[in-house]
Amino acid sequence: MPSRLDAHSTLPPTPERLVILFTDILSITATLSTRPLSTSADATAIDIDTLSFSYGEQVALDTLSLRVAVGAVFGLLGPNGSGKSTLLSLLTERRRPQSGTIRLLGEPLTARLRARMGVVFQEPSLDPHMTVIETMRLQARLFALPGAAATRRTAQLLDTVGLADRGSALTATLSGGMKRRLELARALIADPELLLLDEPTLALDPESKQRLWAHLREANAAGLTLLVATNDVQEAERYCGTVALLSAGKLVAQGAPSELRHGLRREAVRIEWRDGAVPDDGLLEALPGAGQIRRAGQVAHVTVDAAAPFLARLFERAGERIHAVRIEESTLEDVYFQLVGRAISQPSPHEPPA
Amino acid sequence: MIMELTAIGALVARDLRSLFRARSQLYSSVLFPLMLLAIIGTGVSEGLQPAGVSDYVTFLTPGIIVMTALFSSTFSSASYYQDRDSGMLRVLLASPHPARVILFAKALSAVVIGAAQALLVLAAAATIPAIDFEWQYGVAGSLALAFFAILVLNFFLAGLGQLLASRIASMQGFHLVMNLVLFPFLFFSGAFFPLDNLPLWLHMLGRVNPLSYAVDMMQLALYAGDDDGFFGLPLDIAVLTALAAAIFYVAASREVGADR
Repeated sequence: MPSRLDAHSTLPPTPERLVILFTDILSITATLSTRPLSTSADATAIDIDTLSFSYGEQVALDTLSLRVAVGAVFGLLGPNGSGKSTLLSLLTERRRPQSGTIRLLGEPLTARLRARMGVVFQEPSLDPHMTVIETMRLQARLFALPGAAATRRTAQLLDTVGLADRGSALTATLSGGMKRRLELARALIADPELLLLDEPTLALDPESKQRLWAHLREANAAGLTLLVATNDVQEAERYCGTVALLSAGKLVAQGAPSELRHGLRREAVRIEWRDGAVPDDGLLEALPGAGQIRRAGQVAHVTVDAAAPFLARLFERAGERIHAVRIEESTLEDVYFQLVGRAISQPSPHEPPA
Repeated sequence: MIMELTAIGALVARDLRSLFRARSQLYSSVLFPLMLLAIIGTGVSEGLQPAGVSDYVTFLTPGIIVMTALFSSTFSSASYYQDRDSGMLRVLLASPHPARVILFAKALSAVVIGAAQALLVLAAAATIPAIDFEWQYGVAGSLALAFFAILVLNFFLAGLGQLLASRIASMQGFHLVMNLVLFPFLFFSGAFFPLDNLPLWLHMLGRVNPLSYAVDMMQLALYAGDDDGFFGLPLDIAVLTALAAAIFYVAASREVGADR
């Protein structure tokens, strides 16, 4: 093994180096015991059975059952307070289920099982006083990766997420997108089989979002199972092979986005009314072909079988009230609204703690 | 077990690195006690020599070392809040280790840092000509006892700090409690004046004060010319060790929340 003291020549001398050297020696042995000798024959990465959790009187998860196949990109879609973050906190054992069972990668939850998982949390989770390299190496040691492997894997992952030239930068100096990519690289350090992501692209600009998903898809193509909690409909539609819609801690529907949209009206019309000209609810409901109707201020969103005849009738009845219209494909947002009667952007009435 | 030791080593290394980086904290943690030693020691020696104390500066040194450990444990325990607020505690608890391993590592960091700082103050004090240690168990024996006292005291304080940090929601509240509770404890621990001739109520408070046993042990190692002490060495060792083991165990085995 190459000398780690050389690799850490920029670090202060004495006790820390000795501790690092000691832990490296230990980790070589420890790595041998972190992985199972063979991959589980069970093709289910996540198996949740009638899981319930409440914060006092407030129900966060209500007899939720889910199965996520190995290799899937599985989205948990729901508004704030629908139970997504609670579910992830139960999967990472930050909280204990009050009833029901969880099996990950074919095993019940244990601390040792977490060696096969990675987590990207919703909230920032970097030590601002550590550098990028130190952040990665700490994680490598927590996951008992031997020194040489940790160094190699760190270099490889930082290169993949475009942070190779920022290794000695303090994490406090990184942009929001860079921090998120570092958190992703950190979660991948031990080459997990399952990656849990809680709102991974929250507050990211479109370019950073796209870059992050490019890395996630690459990791998924290499066999990683992804469970992504999100309230971003477009993200779920675009990237998730299977989506579970959650409302108030219950599973409302599950399937591929196209399957979930099946049976829903094909198109949607977004209508922006003129100032002070918002019509009564009955106007749109009375129009033939109108499906689900959502309203937000001066904007109405209506699912329809065919947009053209619907719009012709709308202009005939209320053309003078219309400021603008846009024809869209119906989305999972429409599916959610149809099933729950509330938009995803609208939080649950009793939002539990994250 | 090996995996746990690796993680503990990594977390201790991380906290040591933070300490080396925060040089102002490192320097002040050693210089401030020495400054107190010089100012209070000289001031009291010249005008307020307490009864039964022949060499006040030397008498004060063991108490100042205990105070150093107290300061250090307060700072180190505050890192629990820094980790919680930065989200790092969540990351650590999602690693493949039980929470008690993470908490043990955090507490061990506090012990290592606190003990190192206290030993640095002891080493610096030993070079000051005005301080004349008695070394009643011989230099090696007395140093070994001082080292043992510092170590056990730091286990006690690190455990107590962690326990308080887990019960108090904010860092401000934590510092307030440490200042309001622990520092008065320091004042009637025998660190600054002997407990022998105090009024009964203060004397009794001194007897139930865990810090008194640490100060007594340190004074036996460095200052006292005979092995009597206030409590006696066997009682000092028994009480402080039992308290440190109990509180450290409770602190490291409690449920921990990673969220604010």
